[in-house]
Amino acid sequence: MSAAGELDDVECRELSRLAKKSLRKSYMSSTKTQTGAAPAQACWNCNAVAGGGHFCAACGKIQPLADGADYFAFFGLPQKLKIDEAGLEQRFHQLSWKLHPDNFVKASEFERNLALERSSELNDAYRTLREPVLRVEYLLLREGVRKEGTTKQQAPPELLEEVFELNESLDELRTARNDGGDLSGLRVRLGEAQKNFQEKLEEIDAELLHVFSEWDKSVDAGADDNERRKQMAKLNEVLNRRSYIRNLVRNVAQELEA
Amino acid sequence: MAYSDKVIEHYNNPRNVGSLDKKDPNVGTGLVGAPECGDVMKLQMKINPDTRVIEEAKFKTFGCGSAIASSSLATEWVRGKTVEEALSIKNTDIVRELSLPPVKIHCSVLAEDAIKAAISDWKKKAGEGDPAAQTSAAQAHS
Repeated sequence: MSAAGELDDVECRELSRLAKKSLRKSYMSSTKTQTGAAPAQACWNCNAVAGGGHFCAACGKIQPLADGADYFAFFGLPQKLKIDEAGLEQRFHQLSWKLHPDNFVKASEFERNLALERSSELNDAYRTLREPVLRVEYLLLREGVRKEGTTKQQAPPELLEEVFELNESLDELRTARNDGGDLSGLRVRLGEAQKNFQEKLEEIDAELLHVFSEWDKSVDAGADDNERRKQMAKLNEVLNRRSYIRNLVRNVAQELEA
Repeated sequence: MAYSDKVIEHYNNPRNVGSLDKKDPNVGTGLVGAPECGDVMKLQMKINPDTRVIEEAKFKTFGCGSAIASSSLATEWVRGKTVEEALSIKNTDIVRELSLPPVKIHCSVLAEDAIKAAISDWKKKAGEGDPAAQTSAAQAHS
């Protein structure tokens, strides 16, 4: 039988775990963000306009997470896909230090909880934004372009033949291994296929960076919803192709190591 | 994820696994795929040009249990049907028969696409049909 085993959704689940977690949050608050600018939040402590930061601009007390805030906003970044990763890391360390629960041991229970909440959000946000693929997945999940399990995924049609042949070779390798047959020829063939698909993965990564730039340009230009949707559909399409190829490369690597 | 009994049955005893001669003018080949779970599905049919009846159907699928069951079921269903009857098979019929959960609906869509692609390939070989109409049918799900 030609079942390539349960490749199923493990990878998808893992990749989008963080993004989904925050999606739930943004769903809950989406009604508020849609009605325009979020109401200026008053500080729970001094009642001044807190300024939307991690701490009140007036009294310096830690603030609850704003409704509908996203990971980009958490770091004070625009929703752009090309990120200065060194700067992000630096900011992460600064915020980790400022928000660390150890700084709040003498504070009220309310503030200790806020520190915990913000620290946990900080970690999720950083882990998501530092990885380009997780970053774009997060953006698309949040914008409702990517949904788990319901969106139709399209394999790159120009590669289907090669993909099918590669799977057949993998199948042959497994059978030959079980039967104690000669694997050397198959290994060479698979090794070549692996190299070929690894190159394709690199091409797709380059393409992904290109659509990142296109997206960023449209953010800078204040593009309308129509244009944004178009860009996001493109991003989604490249992502789908990428995950397809990445799964293949991973499977071949696993079989060659087995 | 729990598979329905019917999915497990098809997975353990897949019908019509194999391939037909791609070059045979009476054989239509449909090759379709979906990323994320890495499924690729090849469905082939041998069609009698006079009666337009699908006399033989074979498949080979690399993918999860639901994808294998969907394509196995598809080969069972198209056998003995005319091309026109086979084209009326909907992915929702497969979903119902196999009790596929929502996250596995794309497997049934893939099977329907494979049927359409195979028939479209056969029609092209036979010099008939409107490829554009086939494409739009296959894209109706997206």
